[in-house]
Amino acid sequence: MPPTQSPPVAIQAHGLRKSFRVRNEAVEAVSGLDLTVTAGQIFGFLGPNGAGKTTTLRILTTLLPADEGEAFVAGADVMRSPQQVRRRIGYVGQLGGADASATGLENLLLQARLYGLTAADAASRAKELIGLFDLGAFAGRVVRSYSGGQRRRLEVALGILHDPQVLFLDEPTTGLDPQNRANLWNHVRQLRDSGTTVFLTTHYLDEADQLSDRLAIIDRGHVIAEGTPARLKQRYSGDTIIITPADLPASLLSLEDDLAAVPFIRTARIEDGSIRLSVTDATRSMAAVFSMLAEKGIDVRAASLAQPSLDDVFLHETGRSLRDAGETAGGLATTQQAGEQVAA
Amino acid sequence: MTFALQSGLFFRRKLRETLRQPVWIITGLSTPLLYLALFEPLLRSVAGGNGLPAGHVLDVFVPGILTLMAFGAGMGAGWVVIWELDSGVIERLRVTPASRLALLLGTVLRDVAMFVVPGIVVIGIAVGFGFSAHWAGLALLFGLLALFTAACSATSSALGIGLKQIGSLAAVVTGVQLPLTLLSGILLPLSLGPDWLRALGHLNPMYYTVQAARGLAAGAITTSAVGTGFLVTGAATALALWWGTRSYHRAMT
Repeated sequence: MPPTQSPPVAIQAHGLRKSFRVRNEAVEAVSGLDLTVTAGQIFGFLGPNGAGKTTTLRILTTLLPADEGEAFVAGADVMRSPQQVRRRIGYVGQLGGADASATGLENLLLQARLYGLTAADAASRAKELIGLFDLGAFAGRVVRSYSGGQRRRLEVALGILHDPQVLFLDEPTTGLDPQNRANLWNHVRQLRDSGTTVFLTTHYLDEADQLSDRLAIIDRGHVIAEGTPARLKQRYSGDTIIITPADLPASLLSLEDDLAAVPFIRTARIEDGSIRLSVTDATRSMAAVFSMLAEKGIDVRAASLAQPSLDDVFLHETGRSLRDAGETAGGLATTQQAGEQVAA
Repeated sequence: MTFALQSGLFFRRKLRETLRQPVWIITGLSTPLLYLALFEPLLRSVAGGNGLPAGHVLDVFVPGILTLMAFGAGMGAGWVVIWELDSGVIERLRVTPASRLALLLGTVLRDVAMFVVPGIVVIGIAVGFGFSAHWAGLALLFGLLALFTAACSATSSALGIGLKQIGSLAAVVTGVQLPLTLLSGILLPLSLGPDWLRALGHLNPMYYTVQAARGLAAGAITTSAVGTGFLVTGAATALALWWGTRSYHRAMT
């Protein structure tokens, strides 16, 4: 199945499978994965650790042969013409990959020569990238002496040196402080704006949410949801309203039932002295809820709108929270509880 | 053309890495010099004795010392490969269109250089102490041992990529080092040993390298031992390069 012409497709995968032998047992890391990525987008690949993100990425970047299935990247067949794919893609792995015993400049020059640039062209391209990624202060030092943020910038520079059509980033902001993270996000957006397709894996909810134009959520080796972040959240969770009454009536159960009967309200739950409502239309349901509560003589102390998060999507599809699903939950960002505060 | 260019680029990269760590150069030179300084007085009394070839003690032991140097220069490659796997360098280079054989050859050629340069120093010093140099034979000897270094280096890289753990690599390399070197007659000729030991030696490819090295050092160029040595060492090098390249094709953390 060759990639179609309009809209241009940067990545197309069909039925990818890959299993590994772990202590004489076959473990399927990728199990029947389908994927279509439109050119010129930032495509997020979100999932817990061990979901198969890195394995998929390695198949798409020609590092690992798939057991089954087919994939086209930047118009070339990953299995049949890997050399063509390699010329057209850039890759920044989770481990980084800068040569620690060489200087930043030497890393850039070697990378440029490997893509066929002449010595003179390599030097001018390296100079350009040193300016673009603000590497000037340390490009002459060996990479071993770099800070995490400096090193990551160099590694992204290495990944885009040859102007690839598709750039793959594997967990690019893991271990970066918030400032370096924001800096990297800006670089990624600039790349997208200049026409590069960016495919990035992440296990950070906010990164997938804010950075991707489109995203796929992966769990246990296959895609469980796909779309724009806004539409995914809308489709699966709707909006959530949290109302804190001055004091709650005795008959909580009947209040929950009454609230659930209000138009635009899907579910109502009372927990920790607050009423948590899942609604289909926040603005319209809000008025109805207020008037109903007023009828019952319940004073509202505060009401806030909680945006649904991608975690709600994951929860809906798998029954687990993305935060609990991975082996390490520490790095995950919190859901965006802080919505607009509505004065009561 | 591209392949030669890439091999050259990778060679320079590895050479720079070595030159930035002078410890490697110092130990690369001091070990053979210590062999010369400490072994020579010890062996002076046995040279020419029962079962040993006649001649100056250094004429007998310099080829063995050079072969050990070649072995050491090559066998260190795997350690750096594991470190490069862990830091993602190999993964990054594997996504570029660079040839995998060129990638392997960068390390192999550096290791050959790291054998040849100290090897020449050792010859210079040994001549000063009475080693009789046969220059044509020595030139061929360095060619033979350059091949041998390449075989060791590519094997070590392949082992490193396959084993992935420094500990496992160390166990394997030290495990094979003793039988391989002992059964090649590297320091003491196997002719000193009983028949069964000599028979075992004939199964060891390194034995033929050492036999040829002894002949070449003595200036005996046109012997069948030299021919066999080049044949066996050349075949081992080709096999190791194939194995190393194949390993780079699949290298994964």
